[in-house]
Amino acid sequence: MMRAQSTPVRRYAATGSLAMLWALPVILTLAYVLPFAGVTLWSVTRPELGLQNYVRIFTGADFQAIFFRTAWVCLVSTAITIPIAYLLAYYWVMGSGRRSRLVEICIFIPFWISVLVRAFGWVVILRNNGLASDVANAFGLGGLSTGRNVWSVITGMVHFMVPFAVLPMASVMRKIDRRVLLAALGLGCRPLGVFWRIYLPMSLPGVFSALAMTFIFSLGFFVTPMILGGGRVVLTAETVFVQMFQTANWGLGAALGVVLLVAVFAILWLSQRVMRIEQLMSR
Amino acid sequence: MFGKSRLGGFLAGASGLFLLLPLVAVIPFSFTAKRFLSMPDGEYSLRHYVAIFDPDTWLASIGTSTLVALLSSVIATALAAAFGIGIWLRRPASGRFLIGLVLLPIIVPPVTSAVALYFLLAQIGLLDTVPGLVLSHVVMIVPFAVIAILGALSRLDRNLELAARNLGASQMQSIIMVILPNIRFGLFAAWFVSLVMSWEESSVTLFVSGVNVITLPKRIWDNLRLDLDPAVAAISVIMILATTLVILLRKSET
Amino acid sequence: MQRAIKHPDPRPRAESNIVPMAGSDPVRHPNSVAAEVRNLRKTYNAGTPHAHEALKDVDLSIRANEFFTLLGPSGCGKTTLLRILGGFEMLTSGTCRIFGEDVSRLPPEARPVNTVFQQYALFPHMTVRRNIAFGLEMLGKPRAEVESTVERMLDLVHMTDYADRRPDTMSGGQRQRVALARALAPQPKLLLLDEPLSALDLKLRQKMRLELKSLQRETGITFIFVTHDQEEALAMSDRVAVISNGHLQQVGTPEDIYEQPQSRFVADFIGESNLIEAKVAGVTGGEASLDIEGFGKVHAPVAERVEDGQKVWLSIRPERLVLGSGDGQERAKVTDRTYLGNAVEYHLHVGEHALTARSPRGGLRGRQDFAPGDVVSVGFEPGSIKVLLS
Repeated sequence: MMRAQSTPVRRYAATGSLAMLWALPVILTLAYVLPFAGVTLWSVTRPELGLQNYVRIFTGADFQAIFFRTAWVCLVSTAITIPIAYLLAYYWVMGSGRRSRLVEICIFIPFWISVLVRAFGWVVILRNNGLASDVANAFGLGGLSTGRNVWSVITGMVHFMVPFAVLPMASVMRKIDRRVLLAALGLGCRPLGVFWRIYLPMSLPGVFSALAMTFIFSLGFFVTPMILGGGRVVLTAETVFVQMFQTANWGLGAALGVVLLVAVFAILWLSQRVMRIEQLMSR
Repeated sequence: MFGKSRLGGFLAGASGLFLLLPLVAVIPFSFTAKRFLSMPDGEYSLRHYVAIFDPDTWLASIGTSTLVALLSSVIATALAAAFGIGIWLRRPASGRFLIGLVLLPIIVPPVTSAVALYFLLAQIGLLDTVPGLVLSHVVMIVPFAVIAILGALSRLDRNLELAARNLGASQMQSIIMVILPNIRFGLFAAWFVSLVMSWEESSVTLFVSGVNVITLPKRIWDNLRLDLDPAVAAISVIMILATTLVILLRKSET
Repeated sequence: MQRAIKHPDPRPRAESNIVPMAGSDPVRHPNSVAAEVRNLRKTYNAGTPHAHEALKDVDLSIRANEFFTLLGPSGCGKTTLLRILGGFEMLTSGTCRIFGEDVSRLPPEARPVNTVFQQYALFPHMTVRRNIAFGLEMLGKPRAEVESTVERMLDLVHMTDYADRRPDTMSGGQRQRVALARALAPQPKLLLLDEPLSALDLKLRQKMRLELKSLQRETGITFIFVTHDQEEALAMSDRVAVISNGHLQQVGTPEDIYEQPQSRFVADFIGESNLIEAKVAGVTGGEASLDIEGFGKVHAPVAERVEDGQKVWLSIRPERLVLGSGDGQERAKVTDRTYLGNAVEYHLHVGEHALTARSPRGGLRGRQDFAPGDVVSVGFEPGSIKVLLS
């Protein structure tokens, strides 16, 4: 038999699959993780050695205002995003065939379209003499403030986040056994009661992941706020861009990037703890 | 029985309209006859669609974006496939850690990733070059490809590989003849997602290129920041229509 | 009668038009050893707190041309042993030889062994024909030979009509046949079968048992079959190895295993047994007198040395207990009677012991019927008591 040759080939040390496995992690370590170290180095060496960039960030009144505004904008956008996304996820998963398909299309068309195009759509609607003010004028609400302000930014961010927030919620909802709901109905619970007492608690894990995801995404986001805020509603991520490319303040930009990263990991860590506690309580 | 409440249905419909609103709103603006962004008042024109074909500006950027997206999506898919198959075959103890590592670019705020990639490209002299941009895009889009491929592999029967080995195939042969053909849809999905993500990538792109290499998102960005050229509306309409078409076609297939 | 008509041997040997594997080599050595493992150990996660010994010091020889079954409950290590033979797992220590060659360090593709997997693992992107041809192509066989062998294999498993279909369009039984053909096509010296019948329904499973058995006879290839189903093991095998907890418990023919269990585990796992604790009360010649608390003395042959007062276990099959009444020896109380169709089962209490007796239906051999509450005498058929030391 041909294959009875007895060269000791060790499968478990097959170099081929070892190389395949490690190629990507090695490349990412070199091209992504190491540069972070470089950025961190920048943040304490530019313009000179020391922690003055961080001191500036945490004590400067201007930065505190930016952080406060960022937190506020992110919280408000998340708070608006979650109910909208929950509603859409619910109708996508539970709705009748036609309704579910319509909702799906409404979610996925914006999902796949460039964030710039979507922001542009809102510019068209919200700018000073745009569609919204035309409509407002037609209804005699001339004084309605539109244009580059914090609500434009929030509108754009919510629009960006909703499709993302739908996905984790829908995936949890899809795992809910409909027979559980029928059982509750059979036990005499009214449909609205079934929703509040059975469906909502069972879908909460999806809501938590959507919450964490939305908040994290909105923290690091700068394209939409820059276009819709137009320099008047400056958030943290935008400040990084401004510090690096408009005031050429590399060290400060790098330090802000590091602070953002730490904030995101802190939120992730926290949300995982919350979820674990939530799971413990539901046992 | 469920999902039939009137109020809920109305609110869901309103939410759906909210999602589509800005996309629809763009359409009339693309047909204005004026040089600046405005509603066409009685006069319609295709001049802004024609402007897209200017080889020095829009068309050049479309070409650059296409080139970068094709290169980076193919590279990202290949790396993700190798990584995913490596994990699937070897099931290393460090698997969770490695997957966490390669998914990092999704979790890290894009602006922080942008600063890191800017730093890297500045060190190796690839700022504002096509190779530099491709490298950055690969880093940013590879997690999406990895997710698609790991998903496809998780549905694959482990015994398929053993059966192939058992019938005399080497590990490489079994990867090429058995594993890859069986995750072909996952590979396609990974490639397609990467392609779209790279084509639309704006945050990192704005940091690491923009003078010599101008992608389509960068050009749209400049226009939005500076003068609101109605050509942006025209190109948006084309992108919206293309996306809608692809989604509707895929829906009708299933 | 009914049964004989329903399950005829699917392919009587005289009518077989196949001369499979003719002249094909070392497979037909009547007394040679096909596979041999010595001091085999397999420890998962060795050196970590999660270390788990799947196989502990296993010695086993499997003869050429044998239908050999590894039988045991799930998690006993039988699948691990099969995977070590196939090369899918590395052994921790010991040796593993296939037809004399040490294969311990060989990858699966270099072993003259093929496998039929539990869920068949057919390549879903290939037709039946391409599936069967795969192993031959890997061997670098010329095209003409590949084609003719594939045809022969399709014929062997009666799948010629399905040659160009894909596996996902076929039933479990059909997939099973394709998996067999695919594994047999490269003419392995050893065929490993990992619970191949477990995914089939009962009727089909019984039919495939016969087919597997006759396929093994026709091809003359050594089959190593893994199952947790003792009925399957007894029905098909030339010899059976019972494994539990990583230990080889007993190796023998189905009759040996059933009639002469050597441990409580085997007696209990194969078929049903009444296991009764007893004390040795004297040995004369090859026969021991055994004292059962609350019952009295019985006599049974012992093969090994036992001492007076030693604690042993007696194993008696339920069908070999004889119930009676009117002999003045009534000591057992019937607690329950279960009608099984072809038999009646009685649950009895004798002192502290719970026993099960089964008698064929219809008063065969003059046996009486009893009802719960009856007090009966219990007797043993001659030679039915097996003395177990462990």
